[in-house]
Parts: sequence; C-alpha cells; structure tokens
Amino acid sequence: MIEIKNLTYIYDTQQSPALENINLSIQPGEYVAIIGPNGGGKTTLIRQLNALLTPTQGEVWIDGLSTGNVKNHKEIRRLVGMIFQNPDNQIVGMTVEEDVAFGPGNLGLSPAEIQRRVDSALAAVGLSELGKRAPHALSGGQKQRLALAGLLAMDPKIIVLDEPTAALDTSGQTEVFRQIEKLHQQGLTIIFITQDMEEAARADRVLVLHQGRLVADDHPAQVLTRVEWLLSLGLAPPRLVQLMCRLRESGFDIGTDVFDVERACQQISTLVTGQRQMLTDRKPREV
Amino acid sequence: MPFQYYPLDSPVHRLDPRVKIIAVLLVSILLLKASLPSLAAATVGFVFISWASRTPLTAVLKSLKPVLPFFICLFILYLFFTPGSPLPYLSFGPVQVTQEGLTMAITQVGKFLLLVAAASLFTMTTSPIEITTGLERLLRPLKVFGLSSHDLAMMISLAFRFIPQFVIELNSIRQAQQARGADLNESGIAGKIRLMAGLASTLASNMFRRSDQLIDAMEARGYHPGPRTYLNNLCFRRSDYGVLAALTVIAVAVWL
Ligand SMILES: Nc1ncnc2c1ncn2[C@@H]1O[C@H](COP(=O)(O)OP(=O)(O)OP(=O)(O)O)[C@@H](O)[C@H]1O
Ligand SMILES: [Mg+2]
Repeated sequence: MIEIKNLTYIYDTQQSPALENINLSIQPGEYVAIIGPNGGGKTTLIRQLNALLTPTQGEVWIDGLSTGNVKNHKEIRRLVGMIFQNPDNQIVGMTVEEDVAFGPGNLGLSPAEIQRRVDSALAAVGLSELGKRAPHALSGGQKQRLALAGLLAMDPKIIVLDEPTAALDTSGQTEVFRQIEKLHQQGLTIIFITQDMEEAARADRVLVLHQGRLVADDHPAQVLTRVEWLLSLGLAPPRLVQLMCRLRESGFDIGTDVFDVERACQQISTLVTGQRQMLTDRKPREV
Repeated sequence: MPFQYYPLDSPVHRLDPRVKIIAVLLVSILLLKASLPSLAAATVGFVFISWASRTPLTAVLKSLKPVLPFFICLFILYLFFTPGSPLPYLSFGPVQVTQEGLTMAITQVGKFLLLVAAASLFTMTTSPIEITTGLERLLRPLKVFGLSSHDLAMMISLAFRFIPQFVIELNSIRQAQQARGADLNESGIAGKIRLMAGLASTLASNMFRRSDQLIDAMEARGYHPGPRTYLNNLCFRRSDYGVLAALTVIAVAVWL
C-alpha cells in the first residue's frame, strides 16, 4: 500500500518544483502506468517510492513506513524493488548468480538462504540455465529479467520500473512485459513509467504527470482516448485510438477505447459487414 | 585474453582462493632473494602446477608478451653493466659481458618473468568472485585500522565487473571516432595524442555517468557500507591444508 500526501519535491530553488502537491494512493496488487512528457516528473515521482529521493514537503508512506525517516529506508528498499532504464548500469555482480545474490547479501542472509533465493528467483524469470554466465554477455531483454530476478530475491511487494523497455528491441520488450505481467498475476504491485502508449494501455490504471502535477489518474480507456488533450500535453495517443477517433468523426458508430489490433479488427469488420448488410438489404426493395 | 579466467575443473582450480593468494604472495617474497639454482627449481615447480591446472601453457606465455620489451631492456642492462670478470668472446672493446652480469641478467629477469607468470596462472585458475571473496576474508584483520574489508572487496569486484564494459565502450568510441573520419593511424605524435585525449575524455565521462547510475541501482537494492553476506562461503578442505603445510615447509627451508 502506497500513500502519498501533498508531496512536493524541489531539486533546485531557482527552478519550479519537479513535483507539486501530489496526492495518490496505490493499493496492493495494482498495475499502474505513469506517462507524461519529458521533464514531467515521472522519474522524480518513482524515486520517492523507494526513498532514493525524499519529499521536500508532504509525505510518502510505504506499508505504514514514512520515507522521511532514514531508519525506514532499509525496509522500504526491501519492499519496493526498482528497475532502471539502462540494463547495463544496474548490474553489480560478475556472474548472473552473483548479481542476484547482491540484494540478499545486503540483507545479511546466510549463504544457504541466499542460494535458495537465487535459485528460485532465476527460475521465476527463466534464467536458471545462465547462472554462471557473465551478465554483460546477456541480451538486453535477458539483462532486464536478471534485474527483476535481483529484486525478486529480496521478496519485494512492489516493483517500480523506470522505462524498462526503452533500451530494448521489440522482442526484448515483449519478453520483459510478459515477465512483468506474470509477476502482477502473482499479486505484486507493479508501477511502470513508459513513453509507449500501447504499453500504458496494458495497465489497469494510468497516471499522467505534466509539469510536476498529476493531471490524470484513471483507467486507460478513459485517459488514452482523450486524443486532443493528450496531443496538447505533447503526448502521442495510441495509433489505433487515433484511427478509431477519425472513423468516429466521419460518422461511423465505433468505440474509441481500442488498444490492440485484434479488437480494432473486430470492430471494423462488424462495421463493414453491417454496411454491406444494409446495402444488400436495400437492393431488393429498390427493384 | 591474458589473465582471463579459464573455468575448468582441476586440483589447482579447486584450491581455496585464500590459499592461492597466500601462495602467490609467499612465492613472490621468496623469489626476491632467490639464486639461480633455486630459481630453476621454482620454474620446474611452476611448470608442474601449470600442467596440473590443465590451462594451456601458451596462454601463460602470452601474458608475458606485453611486459617483454621492458624485460629485454632490463636483461641488457644487467648483462653489460654488472662489474666482474669479463667473459672471453663476448666482449667488444669497452662493452664487456661479465660472468656475473650473465648470471644476474638471467636470475633477475627470470624472477620477474616467473612472478608475472604466477600472477597470470592465479587469475586463470581463480574466478574474480573467488578472488574478491578470498581477499575480503584475508583482509578482515584490517578492521583494526578502521578499514572495512567488505567495502574493499566491493570495490575490487566492481572493478572486475567494469573491465568488459570498459573494453566494449572503448571499441565503440573508437568506431565512433572512425565514423566521424578520424584517422586512427594518424601519423605524428601530436595527432596520436589528440586522438588519445579524445578517447580518454569520452571514456571518462561515460564511466562517470555509468557509475552514477550504478550507485543508484546499488542503493535501490539495499546496499550499505560495512558487513554483508555472500553467496559463496569459503571453507578449507584437506588439500588446502596440505598446500599450506607444503608452503610452510618451503618457506622455512628457504629461510634457514
Ligand atoms: N538531478 C536533478 N537536478 C536538478 N533538476 C533535476 C534533476 N533531475 C531532474 N530534474 C528536473 O526535474 C524535472 C522532472 O524531471 P524527471 O526526470 O522527473 O522527468 P521525467 O518525467 O522522468 O522525464 P523523462 O521523460 O525525460 O525521463 C525536470 O524539469 C528536470 O529538469
Ligand atoms: Mg525519466
């Protein structure tokens, strides 16, 4: 459970606040996407969640622990795992196993317990075979899964990810999202930043940050279909939504909350068969 | 690559890293005062251990290549500038090769070559993790001086971890320089220096950026200075005690 109250964060008093009066609560097991233009404050916000940054004003509570209290940081960082954008710069170990063992080692667990956690975390992300490999020899997608395993070994409740797929190719992106969704199904709270609206559409809840303010907090079907508004914030709405909106503007009776090709296909084909039906229905009467 | 770990299974690989570190250090100290016959004995011993480790001897020899020019110079210096009785046939006017010079040149250069070879065999048979865990355990007494062996080990292991990254980065910067039309074979010292300066500054700034992000990632995973635990615990086996006993015997024998 995450509780954010009147959170304001200022990097530099000369500049406007990076975050301004944010109020937010996230329940266990939620699947949340954060979007917003560059400099909107997304990274700053999620860094508050594991106490890499602490509020200038206001409070951030993680499972009843305030990030303002340094004594809580150890437990907060165990509860909230974080994945960064660049897969290379978060690897600490010289082998895959060793890297996963870093977090549990910081918790001071016994070698036997560390080994048990390393094995189960690597199995959970499907990297068991590669335990002895050097991390730099993995693909980008594998590196991000390794980073996830490193968090799982600490038994977190919440995982936050800062543009986890931005540095990956398409297959790496699918690979990482499949993994994230599996963890979500196992009951972990997932919060991720993305520039990709199709990715955002997969979440159950979308937060929009603009100039340090939380300007929307709703279901993707409500947020990602506001084409004009998204464009005015400098965000590109999902292409399928744009297509559906165009069709709707041209007078077709069609839903706009369409995020995958499958649904779009379905909607358009019912539309087309309906039109064709109308034409064939009409013809005999004219004769 | 010389000094690179060869993941094999051999009696030498299986030794506890602490024993190997102690062995390398002890042998280095003993070698410093070694005479030609004991150097020959040590070389025979080294070849035997290298054989037992099942690593290719050629790889050990390759690790000597980069230091070879330096040792050749050293050899020549000893050969010509050690006073003593001149050898017939090998003296040309004022330039004289002496009996003592020849012995000195062979022993001194032989010692250093053997040291480098021993260090290379050590890193070829001991994984970086074992080295850091071993060092961490051996350095624990430094706590008396307020130094944390955990932090030192962390630094060493990060250094190891960054070596491949460093090489990859270096190559990509060189490629970028080439792509922008830099002539890597630019003649003239000024040109070479200019090229190297560009390379070094880009590399340094990239590394600083990386280390910033790495520090965040480490902190996010609960890193704190001071005691932590490790995946691999070290424990001595019978062979380790055997080697330690043998080392003690050799040390005592040389001392007396
Ligand atoms: N270390 C810092 N020092 C000073 N100002 C900073 C720092 N980091 C970020 N900022 C400023 O805070 C604001 C929010 O930045 P933040 O990185 O949170 O945005 P973001 O939404 O993550 O952007 P992006 O999409 O580019 O990652 C920006 O105006 C940025 O310039
Ligand atoms: Mg960001």
